[in-house]
Amino acid sequence: MTDDPSSDEYVGRSPEGIAGRLGAARRSTRTALLEAEGLVKRYGGVVATDQVSLTLARGEVLGIIGPNGAGKSTLVGLLGGAVMPDDGTIRYDGADIGRLPAPERARRGIGRTWQIPRPFLDMTVRDNLLAARYSLHPLARRADAEAACARILERCGLVDAIDLPARALPLLRRKRLEVARALALDPKLLLLDEVGAGLVDAEVSELIALIRSLRSEVQGIVIVEHVLRIVRECCDRLVVVNFGRAFAEGPTAEVLASDDVAAVYLGTAHAAAKGEGDSAAVTAAAEAAAVSAQKLAAALVARAAVPYEAKAPLLELRSVHAGYGQARVLEGIDLKVERGRAVAILGTNGAGKTTLANVIAGTLRPTAGEVLVDGRVVTGSAPHVVAGLGLAQCMEGRRIFAPLSVEENLLLAARRAGAAERAARLAEVYELFPDLKARRASAGTSMSGGQQQMLAIGRALMGRPRLVVFDEISLGLAPVVMDRLYDALAALKRAGLTMLIVEQDVERALALADEVHVMEHGRFALSGPARAVRDDPRLRHLYIGTAD
Amino acid sequence: MDHPRSAFGAPPRRGRCQRTGEAGSAAAAWSAALGAPNLRRPTELWLLPLLFAAAALLGVAGDDYWLEIGFRLLLLVTLAEAWNLMAGYGGLVSLGTASFFGVGAYVLTGLVNRADAPLALALVAGGLAAAAMAVVVSRAVFRLRGLYFTVGTLALAEALRLFMINYNGFGGATGLFLAQDPPGLRGLYGIALALLLATTVVMTLATRSRFSILLRAVRDDEDAAAQIGVRAFRVKLAAFIVASFLTGVAGALQGLKLGAIEPYGTFGVQWTVTVLSIVVIGGQGLRAGPLVGAVFVVGLGELLADWPALHLAITGVILIVVIRYAPQGLVGLAQRAWARAR
Repeated sequence: MTDDPSSDEYVGRSPEGIAGRLGAARRSTRTALLEAEGLVKRYGGVVATDQVSLTLARGEVLGIIGPNGAGKSTLVGLLGGAVMPDDGTIRYDGADIGRLPAPERARRGIGRTWQIPRPFLDMTVRDNLLAARYSLHPLARRADAEAACARILERCGLVDAIDLPARALPLLRRKRLEVARALALDPKLLLLDEVGAGLVDAEVSELIALIRSLRSEVQGIVIVEHVLRIVRECCDRLVVVNFGRAFAEGPTAEVLASDDVAAVYLGTAHAAAKGEGDSAAVTAAAEAAAVSAQKLAAALVARAAVPYEAKAPLLELRSVHAGYGQARVLEGIDLKVERGRAVAILGTNGAGKTTLANVIAGTLRPTAGEVLVDGRVVTGSAPHVVAGLGLAQCMEGRRIFAPLSVEENLLLAARRAGAAERAARLAEVYELFPDLKARRASAGTSMSGGQQQMLAIGRALMGRPRLVVFDEISLGLAPVVMDRLYDALAALKRAGLTMLIVEQDVERALALADEVHVMEHGRFALSGPARAVRDDPRLRHLYIGTAD
Repeated sequence: MDHPRSAFGAPPRRGRCQRTGEAGSAAAAWSAALGAPNLRRPTELWLLPLLFAAAALLGVAGDDYWLEIGFRLLLLVTLAEAWNLMAGYGGLVSLGTASFFGVGAYVLTGLVNRADAPLALALVAGGLAAAAMAVVVSRAVFRLRGLYFTVGTLALAEALRLFMINYNGFGGATGLFLAQDPPGLRGLYGIALALLLATTVVMTLATRSRFSILLRAVRDDEDAAAQIGVRAFRVKLAAFIVASFLTGVAGALQGLKLGAIEPYGTFGVQWTVTVLSIVVIGGQGLRAGPLVGAVFVVGLGELLADWPALHLAITGVILIVVIRYAPQGLVGLAQRAWARAR
């Protein structure tokens, strides 16, 4: 593997590490590990990457940030070999690799993760890693290869799942598997594409510790990330990408402090935090947008009002238990969602939030307890029956229908409405999210993550729902896009839409919700009005401290 | 197959404890042999020799009827194993089985007639010719993925069939006669058994080895596999060559048995369809799928031998039902039932 003598110093990529030697070596060879020049990638008429150049010194951790759809994942694909550039050169470890296919780059030590995890679904977690080991070292001893896999899984917190098929892992564990599989290559250069999305603080800390420990084993890391803590604590240097171009570059602290970056990426929340004066324009624009969104949202929700006489809450859960096979996830959930209220469900990953959303949607039948809508028991009703009662789901992971266009995705949720009504609803959703209108004929999944999330929300609204369950809508989005989505949600709330927000971003959820429930081990550990929960010391303990 | 299930379905009673325990171990053996995950005990080591011993016994003691059926069964299991290696483990759903099968049959006949080649050599040469054809077409068909690969192989098979019908160099539509007398039925059965033995060894190596991990990785996600250094083209080509070789030898053996070959029969789509239904009914990507499926399909064919139209219709209905309700075939169904019973 290390036929290049200059790289022999770095051979010791075992977890034991050779940090000392590496440190010395890093100082002596200050050559670049990776140099990309003038990279261009076009998809039809769209230029996804436009003349991007970047350099990664040995031992450096480089962050790539930018809004959703800026071309970050394309850049990772170009470096890793999954995407072939239309122009430009890539030099890695002294050789031109710009035209090499992905397997050859992987064999030279470039490991990457996929933003949307792509594990080998019908293989065990161990075999997922063994595929990497055996492709590189077909004649390695089996015991050695398996021991290496076990060691990597241990570091990535997946060792308990080693014999499970990858299909059985939920989204966030699949992300861990992405990292583990890239590490199984013993990479020299690691490309991490949004591995931090969706993690709560404690998990983010774990990931940061992992990345830091990797610094002594790999020669360079490129991180594409929206979780600013990871960017701030791991990256030496940042490149900001916008509209396919490198927009700014520099040491991490400088870039994050820059006003231009705040405007295109970090968004208003960040700008407000660092001082009002320099972001007046941004704020004003946001306010204007909020006002128009307000009008629209009113239109969207008003006609959704269905005559009802019952005094019962719109949605009620009575001591609901649920799980998958042997695994019990919900252990007695009592929940009331009154009309016009926004209720947030917080909690660490694995606490049971999404399971709760599944029970409400009707895709998972509770093993005990009752689900009531307008005071009527609907426990175990099929999902389409629940949807017919006016409950819409904005599911985790967006679940856009890939073969359908944006408009078809939207219309699907309004099949029963007449043509005029459908057109009216479409117009309103397009006005709420103008991005969607511009891309109405594109395939649903061809858009950026933020636009896809807008589509998922728009689709939920197309059915004129009385209650929408928003499951992790901020996952994997740039701060500025999260701002826009939550502005839209706030407008919908003011217009009277009842909503249940399942979220791991505590601050945003607390800012929007009236009531908050914090979940732990399948139960509500803490419930109350948002204001009270925010100040409750137990929130910090439950959420950030190790709950055990 | 029902044995373990019925034993567990009944509530355990005192008097039957002994028997239930016995059935339990048999069931465990089955589930291991069927390729249940996480069971690393090599049950194949004793179950397979047992099955082969039974087949050999049939070859020695069976009458002509049983030898005919046995030959057909062995041939179809071989073809199904080869197809399963590509489709079940490699995700390469081919509809080109008949072309490799036909090439094997024609090469054997040609070598025996023209060069007076010994049979053993001609059989192997049939396989090698099919493998060579796989190499030649690989560049073209591997450019296509998924459904396009399937359609590409179907196009290849049809083109070859039409060529063989219309080109007179290889006997044209009337075909060729084998100049030599074929060996007796018992001899043919023996060769088929030897071929299946070789196939089983190859499949055991291919499905238990690290190669199978690479192959399944390519099946599950070719791009992701490439990104961890797997050279997908080579891995797919290896599976394609091995499967084509086995298919070619099987074709040569069928040509030898018939003594006369013509393009409609040897290049006909019915071979492809039969093999496909065997694997789908038995269970794709499962080690025991081809055997179980072949026993089922051949058995059904015998039961309904007097009503050919009904046979076709029933096979069609069974395929639809299996694809809808048991995508992992009969073996997958048994595995699930077993997992539930436990």
